[in-house]
Amino acid sequence: MRAIDLTVEICGMSGDGTIAAGALLNAAMAKTGLSVMAFDTYPAEIRGFGRCVTRSRIGDESMVALADRTQVLISLDDEQSRSRIPFLEPDATVFLDSRPPALVAEGQSLAAHVEPENSLIGVPFGDLSSQVAGSKRSKNIVALGAFAGAFGVPPEAFREVITVKFRSKGGKVVDVNVQCFDAGYRYVHENHPDRVTGLLSPKEGAGTGDRQLLSGSVAISRGALDAGVKRYFGYPITPATPIMEYLARALPERGGAVVQMEDEISSIGAVLGSFYAGTRAMTATSGPGFALMTELITHGVMAEIPAVIVNAQRGGPSTGLPTKTEQSDLQAAVFGGPGDSARIVLAPTDVCECYRYTAGSFRLAEKYQTPVIVLTDFFLNNRVETVTLAPAAEQEIADGNVYPDESKKGGYRRYEITESGISPRSVPGQEGFTYSATGLEHAETGLPDYTPENHMSMSEKRQRKIAGALRDLPAPEEFGDDGPLDVGVVAWGSTFGSALEAVLRARAEGMKAGTLKIVTLFPYHADRIRSFMARCRRVLIPELNMDGQLANLVGHLNSEEVIRLNRVTGVPLSPREIYEKIRELGG
Amino acid sequence: MVRAMAERHFVVIGNGPAGNRAARTLREKAPGDRVTVVSKARQSCYSPHRLPDFIAGRITEEKVLVCPYEAYRDERIKLRCSQEAVSVDLERGQVVLGHKEVVPYDGLIIAVGGRPFVPERLAPFGDVVLTLKTLEDAKAWIERLEQVDSVLLVGGDLTSFSVARALIHLGKKVHFLLDGDAFWPLRADDELLATVADSLSGMGVDVISDGELKGIAALAGGGYEVQVGDWTVQPGMIGAFCGLVPDVGFLARSGLRIDRGILVDEYLNTGFPGVFATGDCAQIYHPELRDYWVSVGYENALALGRTAALNLPCGEEREMAEPESVFEVKGVSLDTSWWKGF
Repeated sequence: MRAIDLTVEICGMSGDGTIAAGALLNAAMAKTGLSVMAFDTYPAEIRGFGRCVTRSRIGDESMVALADRTQVLISLDDEQSRSRIPFLEPDATVFLDSRPPALVAEGQSLAAHVEPENSLIGVPFGDLSSQVAGSKRSKNIVALGAFAGAFGVPPEAFREVITVKFRSKGGKVVDVNVQCFDAGYRYVHENHPDRVTGLLSPKEGAGTGDRQLLSGSVAISRGALDAGVKRYFGYPITPATPIMEYLARALPERGGAVVQMEDEISSIGAVLGSFYAGTRAMTATSGPGFALMTELITHGVMAEIPAVIVNAQRGGPSTGLPTKTEQSDLQAAVFGGPGDSARIVLAPTDVCECYRYTAGSFRLAEKYQTPVIVLTDFFLNNRVETVTLAPAAEQEIADGNVYPDESKKGGYRRYEITESGISPRSVPGQEGFTYSATGLEHAETGLPDYTPENHMSMSEKRQRKIAGALRDLPAPEEFGDDGPLDVGVVAWGSTFGSALEAVLRARAEGMKAGTLKIVTLFPYHADRIRSFMARCRRVLIPELNMDGQLANLVGHLNSEEVIRLNRVTGVPLSPREIYEKIRELGG
Repeated sequence: MVRAMAERHFVVIGNGPAGNRAARTLREKAPGDRVTVVSKARQSCYSPHRLPDFIAGRITEEKVLVCPYEAYRDERIKLRCSQEAVSVDLERGQVVLGHKEVVPYDGLIIAVGGRPFVPERLAPFGDVVLTLKTLEDAKAWIERLEQVDSVLLVGGDLTSFSVARALIHLGKKVHFLLDGDAFWPLRADDELLATVADSLSGMGVDVISDGELKGIAALAGGGYEVQVGDWTVQPGMIGAFCGLVPDVGFLARSGLRIDRGILVDEYLNTGFPGVFATGDCAQIYHPELRDYWVSVGYENALALGRTAALNLPCGEEREMAEPESVFEVKGVSLDTSWWKGF
């Protein structure tokens, strides 16, 4: 039983410093030794056009999903925050600016809309910021001070993270922001002493240990770095850009380089070229960019050239919803492109897996000489978690290339038909091992060959190779009881966490429920999935897409039609939605 | 052709017994109109006269609350807790809240009640003297009582008698510095004081009725040393019970006539159309006595809240305000009808 499980939302208009405040909150809470999972939603426009919300779940135990309801709402913009009221717990605490710049008409204040059970704490965010900093710009920092004061968060934790954030802007900026924080902290103690609780005061022995606060994007970047990536070629796109930004700083320090290309087509082309030459490389994009890469990805399949591509999904189709999460690129990742172009597709489910499976994808790409797609989403890339990262195992990041035997020199057949489908691959400069890497169907030598027999045998070889990769790919994991289940939930990607929490809730109520986590989307472990489904009276597959793309992929493995739970609301599926469906099916 | 009347907005400031009853009466009498209650309290309406029983552990917090939030929703009364009215613009018909929100009204009932009155002579000791008006106050009492064996009560208002009983029930030693000023804004006569002293003594209370509070000093080991006349007592904590002072400071520049409370006629009207005051904060004119009277106590608050609401929406039917009951405090009966002189 968690002693602390608090979800805090900060809501404002873009430009209010909402996201910055959320990041400081997360960092400070992590510093106190508590677990954090947090996610931001914001508009696609840069400033002044829409609502920003940060949601931070803070607990004394690690967590797998965001919570359904909010216990604390910090409003930096009352009009925007109104939309968050339906998500508040009945006894939620609401912080609002008690001294807006001018009188407001009835209904324009958040106070007009909160429920009477909510605990309303008015703090003059703007005025205090103006008094200390000379402008209202630091009202978000004042708000953090008020929160810390009311909930007993040690101010030192915030002061430290504020200092780190503003250090590059000079000591004066640091001082002003720390003073703004202190002003909010003090105000609550002086004016709302009855609201001060010690809920988030650090417990004895609390400490961060070796845990760190990481986003999915940073974890992906670190995974790539630890795997020895040397080149990143990319074109900025939400939500993949933070990977490029991180690597732009970190990769040169390790002797690598980040190159911003003119578009996604050239990005994947450069990645293929780099791997072709024997250098680990990667790119990261989102749906629209991934669509542009499709042809060259299949070139990698045909020419059997490794590549690592992160597709951080967002709402689609087309340009879609740049800052909303979705899981609607599964089919594009698995099947996108001309011809039979099987490739490896992995979908991490949390921040740790973002690290681990990105790191491991380089070796897989090399060993199976194929593009590996790491399929994430906006929620997974942008959320932060307190995690303990186990360094990638040596065998998972070791050189996966299968080089030709010197004995083959002179008679080298790059695409030799083998039992495993893996043909030794040379790199340019290996004398006697040159070959033509073409997108045209080719014979074992690499030269074009369109004969039916050749196309058949080469297609079989490529298919055999990918099918054989299954032994190296993460197998599905089951959570729940052995034996028959009333409801089994099959989940992938970032939705898995919500599925797990929903199943745990259902089991706590005595239901026979379990869940199956699928990380390897292609090829997939049909036997394992089939065996889990066979134990379930009903199989539920929740996904953030309209079609039920995983259900389309693996649903045929069940003897009965699987139940689909599909949402495209731009936000993660909540544990509650899945739990309610489990109850409905299990009843 | 019949034209639908525009929805009117009735605002009640205060959510004590009088405000709560006013709002519910408004809903009853004006079902098609909007009713908003603005309350600076965090909780829903609670019954102040039950706080001593809550302190004594005889009833739960839920029993202190007399109107659950759900009741407001069911009756379509918008309750705004933790929101304080800071001014009233009678000309524009607007209430301004502390967070600068302007709430227009078509009818206004002011039922803000009072806050504990602390006489001048006690003011220097304000930091060590507890009062009892709100649920938070009661919780503070409970917390402190866990650490002490004895209590000094100063004053003698109605609440203090119930508190004395509660403390006796809890096994605490009770000293009572009885004071005629405690019935502020009224003054008890000697006869009443003697009756009260007898009653308290009968309950096992140590009554001090002939001393002046000279000083309070904190003791190193906790508790206080209190000098009363020639007496010295060492209570673990001290409570002041000297009645309530109407909480109407925010109306100082409104144009309303304010003496001890808001001056209203026998119909609880302030003299401004559609603006009424009721409950503890009202100072009510009595046409027969040709004087003003004030009301205290739960039952009177309910009656006055209802009266104000009945007079507000209708405009023609008029209900005269009258105290409805006699208070019964164990051993002491107080007829409020004579409480008219200040």
